[in-house]
Amino acid sequence: MATARPGWSRRAQYGLFFSFLAVIAGIILGLILLALSLVAPSSFESVRGAALDVTGPVAGALREVTDTVEGIVTGADNYWDAASQNAQLKRQNRAMLQRMVEAKAILQENQQLKATLQLRQHERTTIATGRIVGSSFNSPRRFAILSAGTSDGVRISMPVRSADGLVGRIIDAGALASRVLLVSDRANIIPARLLRNGIAVIAQGRGDGTIDVRPLEVGRNPFKRGDIIITSGTGGLYPPLVPIGRVVKLDDDGAVALPLADPSNTSFAIVEPPFEPAAIAVESARSDIPGTP
Amino acid sequence: MVRAALSPPRRIGQGPSPIAAYVPAATVVAASFLAALPIVSTSGWYPDFGYLVFIGWRLLRADPWPAWWAAALGFVNDLFTGYPVGFSIALWSATMLGLDLIDRRTMWRDYWVEWILAAVLIAIDEWLQWRVARFIGAGPAFVRMVPALVISICIFPVIAWVVSRIDARRLGR
Repeated sequence: MATARPGWSRRAQYGLFFSFLAVIAGIILGLILLALSLVAPSSFESVRGAALDVTGPVAGALREVTDTVEGIVTGADNYWDAASQNAQLKRQNRAMLQRMVEAKAILQENQQLKATLQLRQHERTTIATGRIVGSSFNSPRRFAILSAGTSDGVRISMPVRSADGLVGRIIDAGALASRVLLVSDRANIIPARLLRNGIAVIAQGRGDGTIDVRPLEVGRNPFKRGDIIITSGTGGLYPPLVPIGRVVKLDDDGAVALPLADPSNTSFAIVEPPFEPAAIAVESARSDIPGTP
Repeated sequence: MVRAALSPPRRIGQGPSPIAAYVPAATVVAASFLAALPIVSTSGWYPDFGYLVFIGWRLLRADPWPAWWAAALGFVNDLFTGYPVGFSIALWSATMLGLDLIDRRTMWRDYWVEWILAAVLIAIDEWLQWRVARFIGAGPAFVRMVPALVISICIFPVIAWVVSRIDARRLGR
């Protein structure tokens, strides 16, 4: 359909005209689907999940290769200075043992105190464990691909965490892989609090790998550099007391934090059930969870 | 002078490969599939490879694929990259239409004109992605999109060269 009039052939003219109509139909179809996926995010769940089953395992396999290569390089590096490393590790090991004994004592004391307060202890269960094998590296959104899917029991809107802290929540789930909305995405808003003094704050991603934190009560800026932000458990989706980020910069009425669980070197991520499923059911009945594509 | 007259004389039995008609679309799908690379990045500064290869083919030839294939290719790109479904379908179809209209107006084409056209299209793509993300409430400051934009524009000549090599190979030249 390059030229305005492809000669005197009626067939060629009609062909050109219909291809023109087909393109316009394509644009209209695309706009309708786009509107649908923005307004009703759950409408393409199954087909997006199926696409994840194609890309997820490939990314996982390639990830294995890069990890192996990295492993060989760092493995060789470890032999270089083995003797002094060994001495250092022994020292660290002794120090860690002491700390562990102290921690055990504190744990026991904590259990006794909780028993006297009769706090309801939430059972932490793990739905699935997966690896973060890929991410949305070419869009303004911040997603990661997790190598666990519905066949492992993963469902949409389950929280994901790693040993270091909160990673995000599931937004697309295929049978073999799922897509995680990272804490650094702007659509991810997490009720949180400061570890230092328990002040309630709101954490929202900034889209560039950092998190914006604001106090719930307007007034004095409660943040200090190095503050740890943890989840508060409000809202019922994310479990409480999971570290989210560390404050690195203050601004007028809030601060910028770096996520503690860096998705690029998180080895394993754990999918947990929603903290209070009943609360979420009420919430989602009122309004669909925003921000999921 | 016909362009074929400039090329070296062909050997007998050398011609387009039997799958020549499907090679362009297949390379676009392969480029979309680059989204499965195991790159875990916390900032989105990588180019939108599917779209780059798409406009690379379309700028090289007026008819790399039937026009309505743009919608199907866009759908595949949406699914692989995790864009909202419909985004690439609409954008890629509109690109086919827009470039056809531009083809009627332009008097001459050279590498610079093609690069400028590609730069404008890439900028529109990045801006629309940002608009859509903003509509959902997930758009970062537009400054964050600039690195991705600059990298995409700089990498386009490389993509265009690769596409022209694949084109020569599929046609047996």
